[in-house]
Amino acid sequence: MEKIPLVTVEGVCLTYHEPTAETKAIDHLSFHIGRGEFVSIVGPSGCGKTSILSMLAGLMAPSEGSIRIRSTKRPGYMLQHDHLLDWRTIEGNIMLALEVKHIATEENCAYALRLLDTYGLSEFRYHYPRQLSGGMRQKVALIRTLAASPELLLLDEPFSALDYQTRLRIADEIHTILRAEGKTAVLVTHDIAEAISMSDRVLVFSNRPATLKTEHRILLSCNDATPLERRNSPEFKDYFDMIWKELDSYET
Amino acid sequence: MKHKPNHDISKEHAAYLKSIRKREVFISAMRYLILLALIGLWEVFAATGILDPFIFSSPSRIVSTLVRLYSNGELFGHIGITLFETVVGFLLGTTLGTLVAIILWWSKTLCRIFDPYLVVLNALPKIALGPILIVWFGAGVESIIVMALLISLVVTVMSVLAGFQEITGEKQLLMRTLGASKLQIFSMVVFPASLPTIMSALKISVGMSWVGVIVGEYLVSEAGLGYLIVYGGQVFKLDLVMTSIVVLCVLAALMYYAVAFLEKKLTLRRSHA
Repeated sequence: MEKIPLVTVEGVCLTYHEPTAETKAIDHLSFHIGRGEFVSIVGPSGCGKTSILSMLAGLMAPSEGSIRIRSTKRPGYMLQHDHLLDWRTIEGNIMLALEVKHIATEENCAYALRLLDTYGLSEFRYHYPRQLSGGMRQKVALIRTLAASPELLLLDEPFSALDYQTRLRIADEIHTILRAEGKTAVLVTHDIAEAISMSDRVLVFSNRPATLKTEHRILLSCNDATPLERRNSPEFKDYFDMIWKELDSYET
Repeated sequence: MKHKPNHDISKEHAAYLKSIRKREVFISAMRYLILLALIGLWEVFAATGILDPFIFSSPSRIVSTLVRLYSNGELFGHIGITLFETVVGFLLGTTLGTLVAIILWWSKTLCRIFDPYLVVLNALPKIALGPILIVWFGAGVESIIVMALLISLVVTVMSVLAGFQEITGEKQLLMRTLGASKLQIFSMVVFPASLPTIMSALKISVGMSWVGVIVGEYLVSEAGLGYLIVYGGQVFKLDLVMTSIVVLCVLAALMYYAVAFLEKKLTLRRSHA
């Protein structure tokens, strides 16, 4: 991972202005993310985790500092809710990014459909979102994001609206898909176990204004296993306790 | 969700389905019965002199008036004029209203600037503008159409705009992460997502257009159903008044169902499940 990182965040500060107050959300934050890495960000609620994703996605500019993404492609973004458009079929939904960018070429569409096929959703191609379960909808949302072939994926608590069992299963599937497609991912979550089970690295943010508190490289005895299996490795609990304590120290 | 017909349904389920069907039959039967009873009682009371047919008219007199109007060729002339005014007023009102709503959605600043104007225009009884319209547009069809347009316009602007604003910020955020322009966000997400709201706004605005046209005809016309009602009232021909109202009821209902049908067609895909 000592090659040139895909993402470099350097000395980023972010200040929100409201009529009644000025809030410093992020304070001199620096980190980098290597190509193909899966990095999770955990932190106390309201610490500005989503703000950093918005800046990585280019929706907001930092007040200070710089963010550099060495990719020609716009990062893909996944939200807590799938926001599939109910009046479009599954096929219509996964083509959304291609249509927006006017790159719905035969080749790109074929790629999107191939993804649908590879991940077991091709039989739902002409279905409407409401006919799919929550887990399947979130998988469609992922394929919609992947269709534009982004190198970097930003995941903003994409599993938190799902019930617990679906959540574990979909986390597994999405992790597998991202690995298979060789994507780099940044996951924001408040679920410590989810972060450890999915990531190569976990960044722990401090309370607002957010800074990088600690950074854990996750090395489990079964590192290449799926997130669900990783949860059973003996080191898992140690990482969990360590991060738990770090976060706990912020709750008053 | 439509279920496939299941042939081995349980006894309880069969009884349940039967009870639903029974209720449906009862409801439609009652609807027709009430209508028939009203017409029947009206006719009987008028015939026996309990109601003075000169003041209250009667179903049979309405029918004969209708036949007379039809045979001397007046009926469709009046219907045509009123229908024309309503349809034009409705189409102009909803088109302009939707356009204004789009502009106000587009610019939050414009929306805030014009908000008090909209509130006042909405609160103002548009009928009060009647005399001004007559002076400006002449005592004719134009004034009536403008009246219908005005009455449906403000309602359309407000309800369509509310529909646009209901579409969650997250859906728009998603589009922005895909790199969508504001026009794309509008045409690909906000407009289609608020189509159901727009359609129900249209249903309200159909009714409003009728109000505008009839009021307009009360004020200025020489023809149309509103004219027949006013004229009938002035010369004490209650048969003519009642007949025009009945025709009006039928037309208004037909137009409402036409819009409802359109709504069903347009929103069919999303409820297709």
